[in-house]
Amino acid sequence: MAKWRKAFPVDLADESFISRREFTRFLALVSAGFTAGIGYLWGRKKPLEGAPDPHGVTETAVALGLASELAPGQSKLFTFRDQDDRCILLRTAEGDLKAYRQTCTHLGCAVRFKGGQLECPCHYGYFECGHGFPVQGPPTRPLSGVALEVKADGTLWAVGDLPKPGEAKEA
Amino acid sequence: MRPKAPRTSMTSFALGLGLLILIIQVYLFETVLGSVLDGHRSLLAGAFFASLILTLVALVFAFRARNLDR
Ligand code: FES
Repeated sequence: MAKWRKAFPVDLADESFISRREFTRFLALVSAGFTAGIGYLWGRKKPLEGAPDPHGVTETAVALGLASELAPGQSKLFTFRDQDDRCILLRTAEGDLKAYRQTCTHLGCAVRFKGGQLECPCHYGYFECGHGFPVQGPPTRPLSGVALEVKADGTLWAVGDLPKPGEAKEA
Repeated sequence: MRPKAPRTSMTSFALGLGLLILIIQVYLFETVLGSVLDGHRSLLAGAFFASLILTLVALVFAFRARNLDR
């Protein structure tokens, strides 16, 4: 018998034995982990990536060219807050201009404008263009919308975050 | 005198409760995360205290329940 076996005389079958108490304690520990996670989210001041800032940061408006440049069914990409904040500007078949973050609310792939809908090629999630609601596939939450403004000279600007659909606009 | 049969009902109850609490915690966390990503933060305080109470219950059962060592 190996020396260490003599020093630690534990039966192999018993080595992996987990008592019910140990298992229940493990469950309680995992539960405490979830509590800590929620506590972290509560205490965190910075919004999570992709979430709108609850304190409403004053955005720097971004020029998107002439509003008349885009024909119905066309889209163009732009970045808003920083280089990683990728957004898509589109003109619907009805002629409305809309802009959304490109980040799919399922697992974060970039959505594209195709066939009058916003399509996520990763798992074929689809969003309607009016409000960014998911209409098909795995996503369950709407896309984050970007507020647009057309200035008197006909130029189009991205000016901030749109409130999530169904959310009362804060005064 | 016949030895008493070990009382296992408490054991099963504590185990079941631990599992149930964990399932509720997973659901709670997922809901909270979803709403935070949607920009709603009002849920956080309530969810935290609910989660804390569940954890305390789980801890009490894990450490104090009798018959778990059988
Ligand atoms: S990442 Fe878009 S559908 Fe999965």
